[in-house]
Amino acid sequence: TVRPKNEVEQKQLCAFGEYVAEILPKYIQQVQVTCFNELELLIHPDGIIPVLTFLRDHTNAQFKSLADLTAIDVPSRQYRFEIVYNLLSLRFNSRIRVKTYTDELTPVDSAVSVHKAANWYEREVWDMYGVFFANHPDLRRILTDYGFEGHPFRKDFPLSGYVEV
Amino acid sequence: QTTGLVGLAVAENPHERLRILYTKILGVLQNIPKDAAYRKYTEQIVNERFDLVKKETDVQKLQDKLNSGQIEEVIVQAENELSLARKMVQWKPWEPLVEEPPSDQWRWPI
Repeated sequence: TVRPKNEVEQKQLCAFGEYVAEILPKYIQQVQVTCFNELELLIHPDGIIPVLTFLRDHTNAQFKSLADLTAIDVPSRQYRFEIVYNLLSLRFNSRIRVKTYTDELTPVDSAVSVHKAANWYEREVWDMYGVFFANHPDLRRILTDYGFEGHPFRKDFPLSGYVEV
Repeated sequence: QTTGLVGLAVAENPHERLRILYTKILGVLQNIPKDAAYRKYTEQIVNERFDLVKKETDVQKLQDKLNSGQIEEVIVQAENELSLARKMVQWKPWEPLVEEPPSDQWRWPI
């Protein structure tokens, strides 16, 4: 069986994506809507805090809830890490994804000033990938062992690690 | 008399508070260039809500017409919009794109 296509929701998401792209042309590089009706905003890394505060505070886009903050690693790109923020709007019952990019050495603005929930998520991204978050209140390891060296989720980190257990 | 929401006290004289907040927002928006999309859309939203607040004196009916939850939530939302407008004046998001991404950055599948 195939999921039925919801044209109405697709059109609404396209319209909202164009609305946001019109208001914030300085930071938004691309807007796309997947076939599963998921809206994604592709951002320049300088614009993380402006875009997230806009999505949280604006009346037409009250995305007050940060559902997830992750990163993905694509080693072949110039900026290998892609930071992904998933936001949920309780007032309008809709979700949105905001994506940014960075390489291993460039710090990224912390989203803690906008969403308190980003605290441990950013610690996890730092621990697993090595992406440094500027202005984070307490950036230290959260999942790896105390003397662990390396960033496990990177694609060039071997599956069973470097240390024999 | 209660809002039903934790942490939100009942607002006495919500019309006055909303009037002050909306006039402040419109004042801050004057500092943005007239052709910016943010100023256009926010002025539209604020003027719509302001007209509804001016016309309707009964709190219950105002809540139904605004269709945006309790009046206290509308007040919180207006305060958020005001702080956002102040930050927008500094960030200036209506300018053209800061930097183009590398051509293979957003290509998926790789």
